[in-house]
Amino acid sequence: MIILENLTKVYPTVTAVDHISLTVKKGELFGFLGPNGAGKTTTIRMMAGLVQPTAGSAFIDGWNIVSHANAAKRITGYIPDRPFLYNKLTGREFLWFTGRLYGLKKDVVSRRIIPLLELFHMNDYVDELTESYSHGMKQRLVMASALIHKPRLLIVDEPMVGLDPKGARLVKKIFRELCAGGTTVFMSTHTLEIAEEMCDRIGIIQNGRMVAAGTMKSLREKTGAAGKKLEAVFFRLTGGDDVGEVIEALRF
Amino acid sequence: MMLNALGMLYPKIIQFKNRIKFKGEGSYTRALLMTGFGMAFWAGTFVVFFRVLSYFRSIDVFGDFLAAKLLAMIFLTFFSILIFSNVITAISAFFISDELHLILSTPFDYAALYFSKLTESILNSSWMVLLFSLPVFISYGVIYRQGIYYYALLFFSMVPFLVICGTLGIFTAMLLVKFFPAKRLKDVLFLLTIFFVIIVYFMFRFLKPERLVDPDKFFTVIDYLSSLEAPTSPFLPSQWITDVLSAMLFDKLSGPVTFNMLLLWSTALAFMVMLGWFFRSIFFDAWNKTQEGKTATLSTGRRWNRILDFVLYPFSPPVRSIIEKDIRLFFRDTAQWSQIFILLAIVVIYLYNISVLPMDKNPLPTVYLQNIIAFINLGLAGFVISAVAVRFAYPAVSLEGESFWIIKSSPLSLKAFLWCKFWVNFLFLVVMSEVLIVFTNYLLQVGPLMMAISIVTIFLMTFGITSLGIGCGAAYPRFRVENIAQIPTGFGGLLFMILAMLFIGSIVVLEAGPVYYFLMSDFTNMPISGKHWIRIAVQLGLVLIINLLAFLLPLRFGLKKLFLFEKI
Repeated sequence: MIILENLTKVYPTVTAVDHISLTVKKGELFGFLGPNGAGKTTTIRMMAGLVQPTAGSAFIDGWNIVSHANAAKRITGYIPDRPFLYNKLTGREFLWFTGRLYGLKKDVVSRRIIPLLELFHMNDYVDELTESYSHGMKQRLVMASALIHKPRLLIVDEPMVGLDPKGARLVKKIFRELCAGGTTVFMSTHTLEIAEEMCDRIGIIQNGRMVAAGTMKSLREKTGAAGKKLEAVFFRLTGGDDVGEVIEALRF
Repeated sequence: MMLNALGMLYPKIIQFKNRIKFKGEGSYTRALLMTGFGMAFWAGTFVVFFRVLSYFRSIDVFGDFLAAKLLAMIFLTFFSILIFSNVITAISAFFISDELHLILSTPFDYAALYFSKLTESILNSSWMVLLFSLPVFISYGVIYRQGIYYYALLFFSMVPFLVICGTLGIFTAMLLVKFFPAKRLKDVLFLLTIFFVIIVYFMFRFLKPERLVDPDKFFTVIDYLSSLEAPTSPFLPSQWITDVLSAMLFDKLSGPVTFNMLLLWSTALAFMVMLGWFFRSIFFDAWNKTQEGKTATLSTGRRWNRILDFVLYPFSPPVRSIIEKDIRLFFRDTAQWSQIFILLAIVVIYLYNISVLPMDKNPLPTVYLQNIIAFINLGLAGFVISAVAVRFAYPAVSLEGESFWIIKSSPLSLKAFLWCKFWVNFLFLVVMSEVLIVFTNYLLQVGPLMMAISIVTIFLMTFGITSLGIGCGAAYPRFRVENIAQIPTGFGGLLFMILAMLFIGSIVVLEAGPVYYFLMSDFTNMPISGKHWIRIAVQLGLVLIINLLAFLLPLRFGLKKLFLFEKI
């Protein structure tokens, strides 16, 4: 479903993504991890068509994201880390807007909105302007809008930020069910427990480079952290696990 | 205490420095252009005031009196503008600003917060008035041959004057916020600002400043000005500062400098202290009120939806969704629909100007003059359409705001997105431009030939103007502005206006020759010579080419830049 080949993004002062290569299969839930500023969001934004790659290529279901951007976008749902919405539209109008933006007919949008509102428990506030929504409510609305055209790939940047425990559990369940139905989910997160619990495979990026990718088992083997949690694997791959130094630094 | 206030202002100072230090692409050109225009405006103001004041000075008896009256009117205007702009900036600075969350979560000092916000608010609302009033005061200084003492006096009287305006404005803002939620209040005040600007605009126009250049009417104007009872209330701070400067400029006209200066300083300091007490007693309550959410009651507007559905039926679902969304947002956002008032003001003044043209007083034959004016009117109508386009077409892309990610990550191509914006704006502008040109030509009673030329020319020109607006707006989008009225004030807006003027100017100049030949042939009943026909063909061909380029190139340029725009 996703093929990244030496994908690179260079900004005037920094190389944000440095020759990343990766393959994600259909129906797979792929976790994309890395420290702050590692290049996760830039990679995701390139895949979503918001940022142009400097070099390399990326394919979504066989469509090149640069030369066939619209075909790739048509089968992709994107959920950003910060859910900016049109403040003067209601939640329902926003869902209509995105559905139509993806080319769906009126009756199709009308039919799909009802179960989505149920699924994300939005019926109580869906007819209010989104400017009065909390971060969590906005996040739910964006998720619903990303699913309205039944994407084959869902790209999610930090899905759990702003969600209450009930919302987080709901999202986990939805992602698993989507994958079971053949949808691919590419998710970046800082919550290692969630990645460990949910993802089929995990990729770890640091300083714009992919330092490891594989199942939990293969990552443990690679780092010699047999039987340990993802946290231990993550710190072995990215460094920064020297807690002693941190504690020393706090004694100022 | 003051150190803490300075500490709170520190991030603002650093941000200001960083904005200069970390310049973006093309910022030197922007800075150069903006400075150029600022200087031109500055020089223009100086020249106008210099000439007016020199003229006043040459009039015996009345001269100084008129200059003093003008100064009083200037300060009275500043007084009202500054209070009003302080109300607007104070609401943001004291109650809406994001940094307040951080400050209030720290063990902050009320006095420090008050002084830092007071300084921020006064500086933000006064710097522009101060900057553009300098040529006025300098021209007074030059004409009345003043030295360094005049400028020193100006500085030391201006500081307390600004503080008085600031404290009065901030006090009003605090009172308002105590009773209404600040976020809703901002919308209301925005609307009031627009009305305020329009009223000032109308007042100036209907004062008929052109009468000053009509020798027949000049003495009646002087009589009129002298009879004006300019508010000379001894309780107005604008009068105190006028008296301080008048005493210096015209020697014996006004009361003692020291007394008025003391009045200014003591009032400023007293207001500052009293506002501090008031701030302390209401701030936390008012701040809590600003945190209340907005609830909206919306009509479903089913009839409206049905009309939209019918009108937009031929378009594809994505295009329809963009247009429907834009229309909804337009009517729901106060900042957007209130721009219509500005549009109406521009149009009314324009029509009024045409209707009061003294056609009968000119020695040239009426028919000839009517056609010449109708031709000039083409350029003026183009200018009016550009002024409207800079408020509607130019901000069209930026209005997507930080939600632009939705468009860019969707399968709708940016090209289709820009065409949506183009056609909606074009339809609106072309209807308006045709109505304007036909109506003004009717007022001017022009012949059918000139009417036809005007209708076709303005139709073609509207393609170019709309394309320039959408193209420049897409090339220099401002997705993060707090207030949409700020969108056209940047570099792109300036570029649009310059290009639109060049475009309109070139069309008018190129059409002048052919129109002249047509009119003369019509007027004299003589056929147009072969040589002139060639000239007409070449010039009209050029007109078509320029129109085509103005239509295609800006959209292409905007699309290219928007495609590469990644700060979303």
